[in-house]
Amino acid sequence: MRAYIIRRFLTLIPILIGISLSIFLIMQLIPGDVVSGMLGIEANPELRANLEKKLGLDRPLHEQYLSWIGNAVKGDFGKSFRTDKEIFPEILSRFKITFQLTVMAAVISWIIAIPLGIISALKRNTIIDGIVRFIALLGVSVPNFAFATLSILFLSKVFKYYPPVGYAGLFADPAKNLKIMILPAIILGAIMSGSIMRMTRSSLLEVMRQDFIKTIRAKGASEKVVLFVHALKNALIPIITLIGMQIGSLLGGTVVTEQIFSIPGLGQMVLTGINQRDFPVVQGSILFIAFVYVVINIIVDILYTYIDPRITFKVGR
Amino acid sequence: MKRRLILVLSVVLALSLFLSACGDSKQPQEEVNQPVDSEQEVSQETDKPQVPQVLKYGTDAEPGGLDPHTISAASSIRIFKQIYNTLIDVDDDMNYIPELAKSWEQPDDITYIFYLREGVKFHNGREMTADDVKYSFERVLDPDTAAIGVSYYDKIDTMEILDDYTIKFTLKEPFAPFMGNLTSLYGAIVPKEFVEEHENLMVEACGTGPFKLQEWVPDNRVVLVKNEDYFEEGQPKLDAIEYYVMTDESARLAALRTGNVHLIKLPAASLPLVEGNPDINVLPFQTNDYSYLGFNLTLDKFKDVKVRQAISYALDRQEIIDTVYDGEATISGFVTPAMGRWAIDYASKDLYKQNIEKAKQLLADAGYPNGFETTIAVGLFDDIRNIGEVIQKQLEAIGIKAEIQNLETGQYIDAWSNKGHEMMVGRNGAGTDPNRSVAFFFSTTGSANVWGYSNPRVDELCEMGMVTIDEKEREAVYNEAQELVLEDSPNLFMSSHMDYFFSRKEMKNFTPSTFNSEDFSKVVIE
Amino acid sequence: MDWFKTLIKEIAKVIKGLLKDKVGRIGLIGVLIVIVLALGAPMIATHDVTEMFAKSKLKPPSGDFLFGTDDFGRDVFSRIIFGARVSLKVGIISVGISATSGFILGILAGYYEGKTDGIIMGIMDVLFAFPSILLALFIVSVLGPNLTNTMIAIGIVSTPVFTRTVRASVISVKSMEYITSAKSIGLSSIRIILKHVAPNILAPFTVQATLALSSAILTEASLSFLGLGIQPPNPSWGSMLSDSRKYMELAPWLAIAPSAFIIGTILSFNLLGDSLRDVLDPKFKL
Repeated sequence: MRAYIIRRFLTLIPILIGISLSIFLIMQLIPGDVVSGMLGIEANPELRANLEKKLGLDRPLHEQYLSWIGNAVKGDFGKSFRTDKEIFPEILSRFKITFQLTVMAAVISWIIAIPLGIISALKRNTIIDGIVRFIALLGVSVPNFAFATLSILFLSKVFKYYPPVGYAGLFADPAKNLKIMILPAIILGAIMSGSIMRMTRSSLLEVMRQDFIKTIRAKGASEKVVLFVHALKNALIPIITLIGMQIGSLLGGTVVTEQIFSIPGLGQMVLTGINQRDFPVVQGSILFIAFVYVVINIIVDILYTYIDPRITFKVGR
Repeated sequence: MKRRLILVLSVVLALSLFLSACGDSKQPQEEVNQPVDSEQEVSQETDKPQVPQVLKYGTDAEPGGLDPHTISAASSIRIFKQIYNTLIDVDDDMNYIPELAKSWEQPDDITYIFYLREGVKFHNGREMTADDVKYSFERVLDPDTAAIGVSYYDKIDTMEILDDYTIKFTLKEPFAPFMGNLTSLYGAIVPKEFVEEHENLMVEACGTGPFKLQEWVPDNRVVLVKNEDYFEEGQPKLDAIEYYVMTDESARLAALRTGNVHLIKLPAASLPLVEGNPDINVLPFQTNDYSYLGFNLTLDKFKDVKVRQAISYALDRQEIIDTVYDGEATISGFVTPAMGRWAIDYASKDLYKQNIEKAKQLLADAGYPNGFETTIAVGLFDDIRNIGEVIQKQLEAIGIKAEIQNLETGQYIDAWSNKGHEMMVGRNGAGTDPNRSVAFFFSTTGSANVWGYSNPRVDELCEMGMVTIDEKEREAVYNEAQELVLEDSPNLFMSSHMDYFFSRKEMKNFTPSTFNSEDFSKVVIE
Repeated sequence: MDWFKTLIKEIAKVIKGLLKDKVGRIGLIGVLIVIVLALGAPMIATHDVTEMFAKSKLKPPSGDFLFGTDDFGRDVFSRIIFGARVSLKVGIISVGISATSGFILGILAGYYEGKTDGIIMGIMDVLFAFPSILLALFIVSVLGPNLTNTMIAIGIVSTPVFTRTVRASVISVKSMEYITSAKSIGLSSIRIILKHVAPNILAPFTVQATLALSSAILTEASLSFLGLGIQPPNPSWGSMLSDSRKYMELAPWLAIAPSAFIIGTILSFNLLGDSLRDVLDPKFKL
């Protein structure tokens, strides 16, 4: 087990190198560059040359890549082309915010989804099942911007409420922070819950029909024991996979919600970076998101063995 | 066992986080009648509480840096305009008015002498002198700064400090737009020692303006506080301005409705939503922008002026205005109606009147009796995208099948600068001097002339406009240039739209105008 | 031609099975309706989808405009009907791409583990970590912007999700007794996968596919401003929904109509998928 974990973490290295190289190349290949973006309508050859020199873009590509990756290894992601701010501290402070939002949303979605998914599976093909499944489908087919806009509209018109405007950190001002974060978290969580609900239902049904459940039933175990001790545990694997992926994608995918609620998270940073072709910002933050994502998935893989001891991972000789 | 414990603990932690948040979310009801919510708000105990003089402004975009010399984004200008000053300013009738310079004289065509205000202090407490003026323009002209306004000021030959409060500019040759260019923040006055200490002015700021920078939380807010030493007596009235980035329109409106912010900007489409709302005032103002349809003149089909004119005749500009701006825009050329006497009367021109027969005839003359296929690149703003859609529909009438290319910001700018388009819809600011409106966009060497347009007479007129100091003569020069560009139609011009501030009734004394739309110097909160 | 006959017979059997099942019937009818709408769009639509009635901007539903008009004064009903074509196509083809590649990759990774697993999942992690908008931009700049490339882009972007789900299921199925016994009696790996593993991961797989279908329909819209996706003024449900955002308060019908059709379609596919699984897998009778 330990060997497996170590090996998984070692695979991080090639993955991160792969990401850094591909992100660097992609940023070079896609149309548009930071200089045009910054100068906009004012661009002329003289200004372009000045700015390219100032930003170090006049150096050959391999030199730009090597100096970037060399510094990145030391934890120095360079400075933003646009704002001249240090990127790494900025990523960390943004990540804290997005992470908090993600965790809150995830917990909310589990609380909604898992019980409903279980009920739906147990009452298969009844009205209750139908209603639950319909709600779950709403979750996956209504985009989060629609849900967010509707909530804002509803709260501001009916309750004359809008969350406080200036962002405050969780530890700086917990009350204000939670006031700001709870609404977007509920929205993200509710949307996330749709697919988890579906997955819980179907994988529980899948497990319930398997031979070992029949055996356990035949042995005279109560339905409760069958469900909560045996079936649920076995049904968890695809659910956890999905949760892991959703948390991973939320880290970079809360952009729309962050924008609507003016939350200064990592998603906004990446998107602004892409729009402005701010290479160091995009490269640094994607490298960081990739790192976190891969780590989450390693944890998910490890959780498999914890939940289902029958699963063992082959350790490469 | 240990792992199990960690798992349980983390779940408990997450749960508690959620529960505390839930408990918190009940609070809103209590706040219903206390819309302005902030920790700095006065306590309930004082009988007649003094309203804090803090303006909360919900803006649409994050500033892209605060250096007035290198940043041209509107979201940045909005902020550093409150922090920095220029030598002179321009009023809505396009007259020059004193700012850091209290007066000026022009002994000959190439010499300008500015007499500075005395006792003006930078935010770091030091007095501003002629030395700073000289340094600021030197910084702009230094290639290492990569400043944007180089072409605005590169006619400066020497700057001579006559005394602490007097500076003499000598130009290389007569340059009529010089005064107009001095009103631009690309020539903001900055303190040398501050720039040197911070290497640049991207995240730090120190000017002479009515407000100083206190805090910038990226993608969330910028806070400016009152400059107690501001040179205009009794200004500003506000103690602080807080800019909150709220990119989403409905979020901005919701925040305004609940009183979380005092001021927002929204397009005309939102007007019906605040009709009859006693808490919200709508403050319209004419922008100095115009929308255009540009052609890639290196392509065969657009080389022929007949094709461009045919497209002009095919357009119904009023329908564009009605559909895209709900009628709240004026038909415009590339010198906008807001520029008053400089603009010719575009609306009455034949080319501005829809005439499908004539358009078809011109197309046939050009060798396209059945029209042709092309593309329209759009991007950046919703109104640009919408104009593209209306134009596409209107061109069907003369057989031109245009496919819309909806481009991402970086792609759009790339297409604009590298002729990566066939037709393109865009929006320009006409500037404060007709030299900008004409030469910058339509002279052969104009840096925003990305279309491949070249008319020797227009170039000649641009040269004349730069050296003609007499205002009446200049007007004649630019009128002729406008007529020529209109006839050549390298771009077709549509409209100049209105912008709208929506403000809370508590915000008083705010009158946005074309050239100074965000003057908060007299604003008070009641 | 024997295999052909058997195939026809099998399909007939499946359809019969579907029709017998109440859930399957509803799903099948729903899917058929959407397909008919898409194919018969020119006959069903009441207006030209690009025609702008400047005088009737943002009008609520009426006899003339069944679902009201949008901000250009275009008929929402006709746009919905024509939008079905794009949305269905994008949804089905891009999910087809990602489901197929995800299925194969996931089985390979889960079954063989070790190096194969490491490489496949490594690539998937790289793909997943990239913001989809950046990948899409890249695909546009390499392949060029058109609807086919949109489907490819969406297909690639959602492949990792399938791969992960399938791999996880393979891992959990693999440890089950009957697989181990199949191995011990010397069945070849491929046969084990096809005979025993594949049917077992059908459940999470169909769920994932229906989920991906809706996200593909919605993603198409978000890519339209990269020059990918359907370009205005041509309608798709996703783009209509995202355009409606600004008018949520002023003209809610702009949001309701496409939402209802997206939900209806996803629901039908979902029911069909569930029922199909039951029919295909005779073990699944509780």
